[in-house]
Amino acid sequence: MINLTFPQNEDFTKAPVFEIEKALNRVHNKKELLERVIEIFVKSLDEKKDIIENELDNENWETLGTIAHSIKGSSWTIGAQQLGNIAYQMEKTAAKKDLDLFRQLFQVFQTAMKEFRDMDKTM
Amino acid sequence: MNNQKIRFLIVEDDEMIRLIHKDLLKDLYPESEIIEATNGAQGICHYFESHPNIILLDMMMPIMGGEAFLDILEEGHQCNILKNKPKIIVVTAIKDVKELMKIGKRFAVEAVISKPLVQNQLKSLLKDWIS
Repeated sequence: MINLTFPQNEDFTKAPVFEIEKALNRVHNKKELLERVIEIFVKSLDEKKDIIENELDNENWETLGTIAHSIKGSSWTIGAQQLGNIAYQMEKTAAKKDLDLFRQLFQVFQTAMKEFRDMDKTM
Repeated sequence: MNNQKIRFLIVEDDEMIRLIHKDLLKDLYPESEIIEATNGAQGICHYFESHPNIILLDMMMPIMGGEAFLDILEEGHQCNILKNKPKIIVVTAIKDVKELMKIGKRFAVEAVISKPLVQNQLKSLLKDWIS
């Protein structure tokens, strides 16, 4: 169980994992396009997660911030609100170079990623 | 600007967002040509090669970001090396208001739209420019 005591006023679990209406709206209600978009999104999340894992040990804050920023933008675009919110905190934490908090957020991020991947996205 | 000959350049590192932009532009302007670049450096190459009329530009990208892309184009215009000024729309997930205002004031930038992109904002902008 992940300890959600940070930031004190944040509870990422309250944000929706996936808002399908929002996602459909972004693609003009084209279900096939949305399926393709989700596929690309999930694949890119895996790639970005791997980059974060590698760069975290080097404390490469610039890359960590850029990757978090990128995840935030794509997550919010696709209606993955929870992932976007966590990535936003990661981006802000990278700017402050707070390693402990970033590591904690990254754990939460990975849990949210799994939840997004496993959830039923039937349209 | 003539609808038939319009040429868009999308400079965006995220494949998913490029796909969404591209689909919207194709819906709005089926005859248009759409060129894609995954970072600012590629974007500059495509700019010189293809002379796009309208550019959708992300700011934070690997290799070369939007800021450097704008620096190069602005230098070209200020030194009269570049004659044609494309319309550049920055589409960014930057949330800092001061930062957004700074981008919006740049000579090369026509408009700034926040991610997630509200498609109606982009549609109405393009409608004003394209007949």
